[in-house]
Amino acid sequence: MDKQEVIDKINQVFEESFEIKKEELLPQANIFEDLGLDSLDVVDLVVALQQKFGIKIRADQRVRDIRTLEDVYKFVLILKSEEKKPLK
Amino acid sequence: MLIEMKTLKLIYFNIVFYTLFLSFSAISIPVLSLFVAFLSLFLSHRNTMKRIRITIGWWALGIIKIILLPVARIQYKNRSEINILGPYIFVCNHRSFSDGFLLALPCMPHECIQIVNTWPFKIPVIGLIAKLAGYLSINEMPFDEFSRRACELLRQGVSIAAFPEGTRSADKKIGQFHSSIFRVALQVQCPIIPICISGNENIPPRRSLLLHQGIIKMHKLPCLEWEQYKDLGAFKLKNKVRDIIAKELAAMEDVA
Repeated sequence: MDKQEVIDKINQVFEESFEIKKEELLPQANIFEDLGLDSLDVVDLVVALQQKFGIKIRADQRVRDIRTLEDVYKFVLILKSEEKKPLK
Repeated sequence: MLIEMKTLKLIYFNIVFYTLFLSFSAISIPVLSLFVAFLSLFLSHRNTMKRIRITIGWWALGIIKIILLPVARIQYKNRSEINILGPYIFVCNHRSFSDGFLLALPCMPHECIQIVNTWPFKIPVIGLIAKLAGYLSINEMPFDEFSRRACELLRQGVSIAAFPEGTRSADKKIGQFHSSIFRVALQVQCPIIPICISGNENIPPRRSLLLHQGIIKMHKLPCLEWEQYKDLGAFKLKNKVRDIIAKELAAMEDVA
């Protein structure tokens, strides 16, 4: 899955789960101030992302640091790349 | 000269208001407290709590209908035809400290508690009464605890009033909504009543106790029944209610 595919899938999550319009989904958009999510909505977002990508997202510091949509893209890309790494 | 007159007028009305407010509270709070304490000898805990909450409502109504008169005129429009029994979740925009008092108008005669921030609990006497009445300080508990207590209150028939913006908006723009109270509404299947308050931005303004004269407009909007929102998630529901309030406020301020 390349970067653009990940971005498209994340945008789909925002459109389907939160009914946020496509034109509002800008990488620099703050998910709290611009898109209107709160900490409880972030929990719903994490669940939706887990289902969409088939990944396990733990409640670690990286989730708490997410502010913009770009941060979400980066976070999922990191998780996907960690997933590919072979177990030692 | 004109500015000086305005300032003097402002000071005069604030002295009148706060003198009346303190005198009214100094008499009514002990008298009402004794009355409720006396009743509690004959009533169950549940009924005593009900009396406390309704008494707070009457006290707040006294403040806004009598004591606030020298400072503000209230234009109230009730567009909600609701069953007197309740319970309901009242959801209101938040611009001023006076909102907490003004809510008595649309919430009475329902037994009602408010969701508050941490600081109102620190106000002498009023904070203590709010705590005693079971007001919920949302920042002092995790969501699960808040949800459990709010659901329990609603199931007992107690209405809840909330300001989902979480804090007073710095300008007339409505802030993003927090979803906590809407998650509770979905869980308990409770009807939601949107309330709009406009014109009290300076009664008093943020970080001030100085009340400026003005006209406060308050609209109680039609009730949103559970059947109307049951298919929505918390995020969509909070934004639906936010849109309803924002649209009404725009219309209220356009007319003004």
